[in-house]
Amino acid sequence: MEDRPHKAHRPAQSGAKAEKKDKGKGKEKQKGFNEKAFAPKSGRRADRQGRRNVERDQTRLHVPLVNRTPEDEPPPVIVAIVGPPGVGKTTLLKSLVRRYAKQTLNDVKGPVTVVGGKKRRLTFIECNNDLNSMIDIGKIADLVLLMIDGSFGFEMETFEFLNILQSHGFPKVIGVLSHLDLIKKAATLRATKKALKKRFWTEIYQGAKLFYLSGVLNGRYPDSEIMNLSRFISVMKFRPLVFRNTHSYVLADRLEDLTPRELVRTSKGKCDRTVTVYGYVRGTNLRMGTKVHIPGVGDLEMKSVTVLGDPCPMPDADSEKRRKLSEKKKLLIHAPMSDVGGVMYDKDAVWVNVPGSFTRGNTDVPQGEGEQMVMDLQDVNSTLEDAVARSQIRLLGTSSRNLTVENDVGMEDDGDDELDLDLDSQAGSDLEDDDSGIDSDPEDDDDADDREDRIQDPRSTGRSTHRNVTRILPSSNKPQHTNVEYADSDSDLGDDDAGNFGIVGGRVRFSGDDDDHNLPSDEDEGADVEAEEDAGETEIVPKWKQNLAERARLTSDRSSRRKDWTKLIYSTSLTPKQILNGQEENALEGDEEVDEDDFFQIKRRADADQDEVLDRSKDALAAEELRRWEDEERLESIRHLFITGGDTPGGNGDDGEGEVFGDEDGEDDAEDDGDEVASPEDPETSRASALAAKKEALKRKFDEEYDDPESSKLDFYEAAKDEMAQQLALNRAEFAGLDADARALVEGFRPGQYVRIELANVPCELMEHFDPAYPIVVGGLLPAEERLGYVQVRIKRHRWFTRTLKTNDPLILSLGWRRFQTVPIYSLDDHSIRMRMLKYTPEHMHCYATFYGPVSLPNTGFCAFNALGAETPGFRVSATGVVLNIDRSVKIVKKLKLTGVPYKIYKNTAFVKDMFNSALEVVKFEGANIRTVSGIRGQIKKAMPKPDGAFRATFEDKVLMSDIIFLRAWYSVQPRKFYNPVTSLLLSDKTHWTGMRLTGQVRRDEGLKTPLNVNSTYKRIERTPRRFNPLVVPKKLQAQLPYASKPKLMTAQRGQTYLQKRAVVMEPEERKAVALLQQMRALRKDQVARRKEKKEEKKEERRKKMEKEEAVKSQKEKEKRKEYMRVAGQKNKRASEAEEGGGRRKRRKT
Amino acid sequence: MTTLLQFSGHQHLRHRLVLSILSGKHVRIDKIRPEDKNPGLRDYEISLLRLLEKVTNGTIIEISVTGTAILLKPGIISGGPLTHDCPLSRSIGYYLEPLVMLAPFSKTPFQITLRGITTDENDLSVDLFRTVTLPHLQLFGVSEGLELRIKKRGAPPEGGGEVQFLCPVVKQVKTLNFVEPGKIKRIRGVAHAVRVNPQFSNRMIEASRSILNRYIPDIYLYSDVYKGEESGKSPGYALSLLAESTTSAIHCAEAISKPGVAPEDIGLEASRALMAEVNLGGCVDRKHQILVLLMMVLGSEDVGRCRMGEPTPRTIQFLRDVREFFGTSFKIVPAEPVSTQLLYSCYGTGYVNANRALA
Repeated sequence: MEDRPHKAHRPAQSGAKAEKKDKGKGKEKQKGFNEKAFAPKSGRRADRQGRRNVERDQTRLHVPLVNRTPEDEPPPVIVAIVGPPGVGKTTLLKSLVRRYAKQTLNDVKGPVTVVGGKKRRLTFIECNNDLNSMIDIGKIADLVLLMIDGSFGFEMETFEFLNILQSHGFPKVIGVLSHLDLIKKAATLRATKKALKKRFWTEIYQGAKLFYLSGVLNGRYPDSEIMNLSRFISVMKFRPLVFRNTHSYVLADRLEDLTPRELVRTSKGKCDRTVTVYGYVRGTNLRMGTKVHIPGVGDLEMKSVTVLGDPCPMPDADSEKRRKLSEKKKLLIHAPMSDVGGVMYDKDAVWVNVPGSFTRGNTDVPQGEGEQMVMDLQDVNSTLEDAVARSQIRLLGTSSRNLTVENDVGMEDDGDDELDLDLDSQAGSDLEDDDSGIDSDPEDDDDADDREDRIQDPRSTGRSTHRNVTRILPSSNKPQHTNVEYADSDSDLGDDDAGNFGIVGGRVRFSGDDDDHNLPSDEDEGADVEAEEDAGETEIVPKWKQNLAERARLTSDRSSRRKDWTKLIYSTSLTPKQILNGQEENALEGDEEVDEDDFFQIKRRADADQDEVLDRSKDALAAEELRRWEDEERLESIRHLFITGGDTPGGNGDDGEGEVFGDEDGEDDAEDDGDEVASPEDPETSRASALAAKKEALKRKFDEEYDDPESSKLDFYEAAKDEMAQQLALNRAEFAGLDADARALVEGFRPGQYVRIELANVPCELMEHFDPAYPIVVGGLLPAEERLGYVQVRIKRHRWFTRTLKTNDPLILSLGWRRFQTVPIYSLDDHSIRMRMLKYTPEHMHCYATFYGPVSLPNTGFCAFNALGAETPGFRVSATGVVLNIDRSVKIVKKLKLTGVPYKIYKNTAFVKDMFNSALEVVKFEGANIRTVSGIRGQIKKAMPKPDGAFRATFEDKVLMSDIIFLRAWYSVQPRKFYNPVTSLLLSDKTHWTGMRLTGQVRRDEGLKTPLNVNSTYKRIERTPRRFNPLVVPKKLQAQLPYASKPKLMTAQRGQTYLQKRAVVMEPEERKAVALLQQMRALRKDQVARRKEKKEEKKEERRKKMEKEEAVKSQKEKEKRKEYMRVAGQKNKRASEAEEGGGRRKRRKT
Repeated sequence: MTTLLQFSGHQHLRHRLVLSILSGKHVRIDKIRPEDKNPGLRDYEISLLRLLEKVTNGTIIEISVTGTAILLKPGIISGGPLTHDCPLSRSIGYYLEPLVMLAPFSKTPFQITLRGITTDENDLSVDLFRTVTLPHLQLFGVSEGLELRIKKRGAPPEGGGEVQFLCPVVKQVKTLNFVEPGKIKRIRGVAHAVRVNPQFSNRMIEASRSILNRYIPDIYLYSDVYKGEESGKSPGYALSLLAESTTSAIHCAEAISKPGVAPEDIGLEASRALMAEVNLGGCVDRKHQILVLLMMVLGSEDVGRCRMGEPTPRTIQFLRDVREFFGTSFKIVPAEPVSTQLLYSCYGTGYVNANRALA
């Protein structure tokens, strides 16, 4: 039955199906794309369609940005959960953590990092309702889960947060509606959802994702909804934000105080602390030597940065294989501030979480193995050093002597052991670099040991004593021990081995005669150094040491010609000349040491020859070098460097340098390291491959030129993206081969690495008032951002902020990483001539503001606040804007009018007083334009000696004694040099930071009255009506004037004119007509009067009616208002009752 | 707020000042010729400090009473139209070199006029600045409006030359990736003779051609004649040569007149110096190592690479100082297994011209 083959399919030969098939065959793609249907009917339409398509394509494009986050091992994505209190943030966080890590956290504090997928880790952080936290979170979050209470609606904080996001680069936002179960009616629920969605979309963008969480089950949101949300989170793509792509930052997930306890005790906890913070590097590479800013604390110096093992590593194939079935449910979670159980080791401390109550002396309770062990460790009273001293360890089976430690070896205490280990491992790796090609087996073993040390290094401090923080911590970049003494046999090292240089900086002092009793770790330090010592002394040495001398010599001889430039330049103290001449440091220092013993030293001219040397960019032409070029053969030897020459150096005139080349040829073949790509072992193959590559290139060029020139051409967008990708690939490839320390030196700490940053001089309040609910962000600063200066910004008052902003009122800005209070001066550009001060910000318009504060790069966005406290009524974001310009001086002016009065007037000249106080002031203003109030323009001429500050001025017309003369000048205003960082994290009550108060506020608080200047009070101005004298033209002048211009002065006629005094006698008809007209006029008049009276009556009637209606209306209105107030009062009462009952807190409704 | 860096000695003063201004770190340099007969700063160094004060805004320079220590608190680079009279103890090249490093990062485009000696044996002549240094700056995207106008020439000792340096402002310099030295395809040169027989420049050119003609045909050596007012106050002549490769790598050399030396010898000396420079190879010649390395450090946060010859002592000190100021170091490895040329690569600091105003 089973093995019988299935019946083959036989297609229908007739019937509907067959017909259909046949029909389909006739026309291709019957149901698919019908070209005709979409073809444009006219040329014009085709044109329009084409344009539209192109435009649509363009809208899809974004400015290509380089993503500095590495793709292979990115730092965890920061998912911030933001919302008003009581909205369900913690519940959501717990639900999400449970979804990813299968663990329930009871008390979530600080960031929680989990693995979110094959290629993604997530750091969840909850944002409390403090504005400071919201600002900090807004600057670092990659994804914001914005929680909104569905039963209540949007709250002011939500909008404030969105505005903060907007000014600091908008990260992705997903809205989450909670408390939807409180809405009982389905229709209301639907309507609410719709309304909230609409509002949300206008805030973010049309179609922004909004999730609905229906209710809480078992203290969590329903699993299916969380699953849905987590899927969205896991596929979320992030576009790099400009600010974060130029700054490195760390969200601290742990914080430790490394200050010596004794110091803290003696200073009663008031001393500056040394603090380590831990976290993933994000943004760009974090470099040593730059400062960092912790918002809420201030600028801090990084003392050291160490890369630690990833506490929450990404799963790889190997780790997946090793995962056991029992562990399957226990997924990785890293949340040091929360209570994730277990023991944790790290460089500074060991943390054991013992559930339940635990007392040390309690013996009747059975103790677990781990607890016992830890308690034993705590009981140890001898140090590691003692243990080593007592032990009888032989390093190798064949070693003839035990490893011993002499007690008087060093001034260093036990802490230094580790330093040694650390440094040795560095030294070892240095050696590896140099001669890994010819390393023999014993050394390899040691190197392996070193490597192990190195790997354990971050954890190796779990020592006998619990926590001895006084010791000097090893840092990767700065070896602390700089005074170096060598075994005296060193001085005869004649060779120039590059390997020596690396270890010089951090050697531990040991005297020459006891080099057998070194600390065990010293053995593997610089094999060659040891070897030389041993060569001189014929003592019993371990076997593995014996042939080291030869080996080392061999090594040094071989690598003598090859300089390790990086090391020579950066890790030795040789002068540049010595480096170039191939001198070696040991010999040099040996020389100097000689006279250190003598009390009196001959003062040598340290750099006798240096003083002669000028700082010149053109090196002097060496005569012998030039003479060499007189030789014809020599000239021929560089022919290959010109396009006319061949491919290879064909010169046979090898003098000097030519030999060097020859020598190196032979050596390099033997000692070439693995990192060189070309393998000179077989020149045949290399030549063949080179030829092949060349052919390939030529072919490609040909193809581009002739075959299809179109395809190779990319449009601008593609080309730009391609270039970025290439550069990123180069970035990855260039330093991939370097070891970790060297790499950190060259490129800093890459994003995605988990680092421990040691910060010096941290205010003690940070540790004393530390609260994990407030995020600690360590933001890297660019060199320019460490300075203070005048910053000019474009600013606009937020339209929801109710008051205008006033010049010289303090304003709190969130700019770059920083939050600070400063005093801005607002200004506007006055016809591109001057920057004119404004007293208040204009309505609905941008203006400029200039303030003194930390510099930020132009084009950085910011938002401003007048107060940060939660009790501030209304919308708190008072303004937003962008940085325009940075300078060390500002030119803002305000108008100044100097007034004066004339005291003597001749024709167009007037003498003016009361404008200046002294002749010197007048001299300053000679030639300045002045004006009278009536508009007569003039110029200052010269100071007068008599009344102080009086001057002669000329005008275009004669001025009057009653005129006020004024000079329009510009007075420059300087912003106050006030910069006050918001140090909210240093307060015990972090929400109540107070900066500088307004004068009015200070007066109110102190109960002071505003001082009243008598001159400033307004008084009634008495203005007497001005009497003008009649114009008098002198008689003589009148006589000379032409008739047309002569004043026509005629006396008024006294007697009656003829027209007035004549008698009119009318004809009878005429009289009749006039009488009739008079009667008609009288009638008309009467008619109009009566009509008017009637109208007035009507109007009166109407007015009465309206009045009545109005009264009724107002009565209704009153009732309505009463009803509304009643309802509102009830609501208020209920709310206050709920609050008293420990319910949700009061909110500020939009 | 900002950190203070300490240095001692009068050497490498220029690049330390430049690095300080660019990085904004305060710098204190002491022990400036403390044991000299004439201790303290020289006149040209003081003039340099004055020049830097001129081109910046808000710079505070404090010089100790003895002149053996200075403290520089840098302001911002402001640029704009300026004039500076250089003392006759150093040539204009001494002042131009730091200016070229600062100019692309100023607030307004540089238009500075410098007066003094245009060519001497210590510093790059203005001809080389025009023909070699400015093309090097172009590698980093500083090109539009970059110009050096030689208004007048001035030979030592009296000087009297005048040049105008125009430089545009950039937001950020481009990352350099220059590892292909290429082969030399053309040689150019400028011979000038002021207040001497104009035939001198032709004689220099002819002598130089006797060496150079053998390599490539594309050789143009210009004879640049300045007369009357424009020829400065002292007689002198010089030949500056440059060799450009197929990948636009430029090597340069120059020789200037010495008393009692025939112009032919000057021509030969210059061409031999050029050959020596060409022989060293690399993409950048020794005189411009510092400029190129500085611009690489200031590039965007990407890996920049450049192939050069061995570092000069100045370069080595510069690399060390860069690490102090910017916390960046270079990876320096041999370019090929068999070669004295080195490949310098570094990770740019992402230096953005903060001085430039937005719109």
